[in-house]
Amino acid sequence: MAQVLMVDDSSTVRNEVCDFLKANGLTVTVAVDGKDGLDKLKADPSIKLVVSDVNMPNMDGLTMAEKIRQELKNASVNVIMLTTENSAAMKERGKAAGIKGWIVKPFNGAAVLATFKKLVC
Amino acid sequence: MALSHDPLLVSKVLVLDETDVHLDSLKAFCEECALVGIRPQRRGVDSVLTILHSNVDLGGILLYENYGATPGAGVLLAREIHAARPELPLFLRRDTVASVAGLGTQDAAMFRCAYTLADLQQLRSTLEASIFSRVYPNALVRGISEMTRVSLETLFSHCEVEVETPYLVKDRIIYGEVFTLISIESHWCRGYMMFQGEEPALMGVIQRAPGNEDAALTFRDLNSTLGELTNLAWGAFKNRYVGENLDWAERAQTQVPIVINHQRRFISFGSDDPQLCFKYTLRERGDPDAVAVPLYQRFVFNLNWSPADFKENASVDSLFDSGDLELF
Repeated sequence: MAQVLMVDDSSTVRNEVCDFLKANGLTVTVAVDGKDGLDKLKADPSIKLVVSDVNMPNMDGLTMAEKIRQELKNASVNVIMLTTENSAAMKERGKAAGIKGWIVKPFNGAAVLATFKKLVC
Repeated sequence: MALSHDPLLVSKVLVLDETDVHLDSLKAFCEECALVGIRPQRRGVDSVLTILHSNVDLGGILLYENYGATPGAGVLLAREIHAARPELPLFLRRDTVASVAGLGTQDAAMFRCAYTLADLQQLRSTLEASIFSRVYPNALVRGISEMTRVSLETLFSHCEVEVETPYLVKDRIIYGEVFTLISIESHWCRGYMMFQGEEPALMGVIQRAPGNEDAALTFRDLNSTLGELTNLAWGAFKNRYVGENLDWAERAQTQVPIVINHQRRFISFGSDDPQLCFKYTLRERGDPDAVAVPLYQRFVFNLNWSPADFKENASVDSLFDSGDLELF
């Protein structure tokens, strides 16, 4: 049972984000790529927020976001991308997939914590 | 004649020459040509080869024909150097004749040119063609350096990050034990970016990072950190210099094999063009005994290089600040 699913192929980023969110009272589970993310989301209906990288092996974050809506038919979970990408075309694709927001790395926990807490309520 | 390459860039050359009088002239010439001269402490083949093993970022070698005060000894040394590092251009200084006349065909082929101190014009133009053969835009060189420094400061927040003057290298030797590689694709350049570093020193740095002191870290943790550094630097490069809406299908997506020789720590991208190199030094704050830990970043634009088409994205100034959440 977790409130947040953190999806990133980099253990450095996973650890950094997880440690910060846990230290601030959120429960977090992790996935190493988009495919793993879909599996974890299917297995844990309590997840309210997915924070995901875009560029990952096996399945990228935008494809995962599209599949969350189209294949899992999950319209309620909030998806936020945390990525080095800042392209308008990618953001448009994300919007079309129903993602909630976009963060350009590096991660700045203090800047987003309040919003994350609202999104898991 | 002034060299026309980017004034922000230098290149390191190994100077194997004789008396101080000659060395002083060469030193002045090097400064004029944006070259950083390195001299061995001792003469002899072993000393030179030791330098070659410890310096993996050279642009070339200036060698005197009678190095070691022995007639023809420089040519014998050149054979050893050429066998060890054929990618490094050799420039032969002779006493009176500014040509390779009199050398055997194979020996002559080792040198990019021969020159005399009385006339350095030949050397100057050959340096231009062999080391400074590519023009790297100032904005690109500055931008890469700034963006990568910020990425390093993010990942190594307990360290000061110093950046050396960027330089061009002809070497193809891999520095240290660990390196990352990522492709760069744009309408004006195609190639790769690498980071190279020493595993033990970098492991020490991440082990002493706040929160990691008692963690049992392995080389995989270092891999992950360097992977994320590469990702951050690559993302910043893309966001700043790579345009959108490119019709990649219309572009010839050529590739060439990348060859790595582990025994020789050698990596080839199939191009002899000089690589753009940045050296960053990490030094842990608050530790007077902290050692400087170097990290090298190299750019190899071996598949396409069209600097005339280079431009920063118009939206670069209005990009959403890194770390902030842009809600849709």
